[in-house]
Amino acid sequence: MLRLEDVTVRFGGLVALKEVSFAMGEGEILGLVGPNGAGKTTLFNTISGLVRPRTGRILFKDREIGKLPLHARARLGLGRTFQIPQPMHHLTVRENLTVAQVFGAGASDPARIDEILEVMELAEHADRDAATELALQELKRLEVAKALATNPALLLLDEVLAGLESHAKRRFIAKLRELHQRYALAIVIVEHDIETISSLCSRAVVLNFGELIADGTPEEVFRNPAVVESYTGTADA
Amino acid sequence: MMRNLPAAALLVAALAIPLVFGGNGYIMGLMVSGLIVAGVALAWALLGNLGGMVSFGHAAFFGVGAYTSAILSAKAGLPVPLSLLAGALGAALCSLVMLPALRLSGPYFALAILAYAHIFKILATELSSITGGSAGFQRFPTLPTIAGIDFSSRTGSYALLVVMVALCALVYRAVKRSHVGTALRAMAESEDATRVVGVNATLLKSWMLLLSAFITGLFGAMNAHIINFLEPDYAFSGNWSVLPIIAAIFGGYRTILGPVAGAVLIYLFDQIIAKELLPVGHQILLGLLLAGMILVAPNGLFGLFQTRRKGAPHAAA
Repeated sequence: MLRLEDVTVRFGGLVALKEVSFAMGEGEILGLVGPNGAGKTTLFNTISGLVRPRTGRILFKDREIGKLPLHARARLGLGRTFQIPQPMHHLTVRENLTVAQVFGAGASDPARIDEILEVMELAEHADRDAATELALQELKRLEVAKALATNPALLLLDEVLAGLESHAKRRFIAKLRELHQRYALAIVIVEHDIETISSLCSRAVVLNFGELIADGTPEEVFRNPAVVESYTGTADA
Repeated sequence: MMRNLPAAALLVAALAIPLVFGGNGYIMGLMVSGLIVAGVALAWALLGNLGGMVSFGHAAFFGVGAYTSAILSAKAGLPVPLSLLAGALGAALCSLVMLPALRLSGPYFALAILAYAHIFKILATELSSITGGSAGFQRFPTLPTIAGIDFSSRTGSYALLVVMVALCALVYRAVKRSHVGTALRAMAESEDATRVVGVNATLLKSWMLLLSAFITGLFGAMNAHIINFLEPDYAFSGNWSVLPIIAAIFGGYRTILGPVAGAVLIYLFDQIIAKELLPVGHQILLGLLLAGMILVAPNGLFGLFQTRRKGAPHAAA
């Protein structure tokens, strides 16, 4: 479904991603792990189209998408959330989903909007102003709901669990499992919590200073000395 | 019912004015000019409110619409109704060369479009074999008589302009209420959030620029056939860029009817009161009036009504 081949991103003299390559299949849940500044969000921005790679190829559903604009990638089925929720301003929750559906999925289907509102537990907030009248948890759910409204095949979740307390976090993880089953989604999730990655993902890749340093099951990558060193500064911590 | 009150009040006023002042050529002339500004103000507000772009270059669309219609009707013998349409299309076409400016935002876009506008003024001056240059262009048809209505008369022109302003307001409302309008509303402050769900922001902004240019060109064309004389300094005057901005902000540029009412009120104030008080430099009073309105009601006259009625500053007119 998604394949990155030697993707390199530079910001001036800084190499943000260096020859990153990996692939993932349909329906897979992949954890994207790494210390702060490792390049995780840059990788998401590159896949979704906010950042153009200097070199390398990005293939989605066997199609080269590296030069497609952001909106065109969304229409192909690439949904994403932002680390800091970005609701569409001046719109209600329902309008946020409607815009996402009409432009992302190319059709207006109010029944499906209602379904997504129910699934993401946002139905009671449907007519609230998304930017000013939602709490953090609701904004996080709205991020996912907007992406779902575009009818994605792949969902890129950027620290969607960050800032949630443990109970809310457990509920959100259960919700992500439900979405994965219900909509047959492939998911890439950026997350710092090892326990979350281990429980949710069948596979994890680790970035450090823009380089992919490990790829395997969560158990394998978290035992990998290079990964341990990237987090602790010492290989035998 | 209350929601439609401003529209109903404007409609009643529009119908009452020819009944009361129909015999007064001076007042009807002022109303005709005010409605021309109203059409441009509506087009400017459409671009500013929906497209999120502040333009200082609408004089270009106004002038291109005026010259296109006048030249086609005079030199190609095109019937005036068709030449008006051609004028509007010509203005929309000229906006195509401004599309690269859409990559800019805020003051950079405003300055770029101002520069573009100046280019068209220079072209109109230099292409004297077609436009008459700085000597001016005249001897083109007035508005025609259709179904017994003489649109070249003050009352006829007034009626035509009322209908055209109303039609443009309805088009604006339809766009605003559509999914495109909803996406545009969101784009102003959250462009990445809209693009990431599939909204082609550049395309939607382009459509708004084209539509705004089309409407402005249409009113430029109608104005040309009403006054029957064109010269670059008049047709591309900065007044056609500045007056609509003042009018739209005074009336409430986030509403649909605000720019219309604002244009007529501002124009009448300028011509009847400001000119009487200050024959030279009367525009300074417009500045003071606008500054006062911004201090009292930042969302303009209609924004003030809506805030009081609904407690929401961004409601539709």
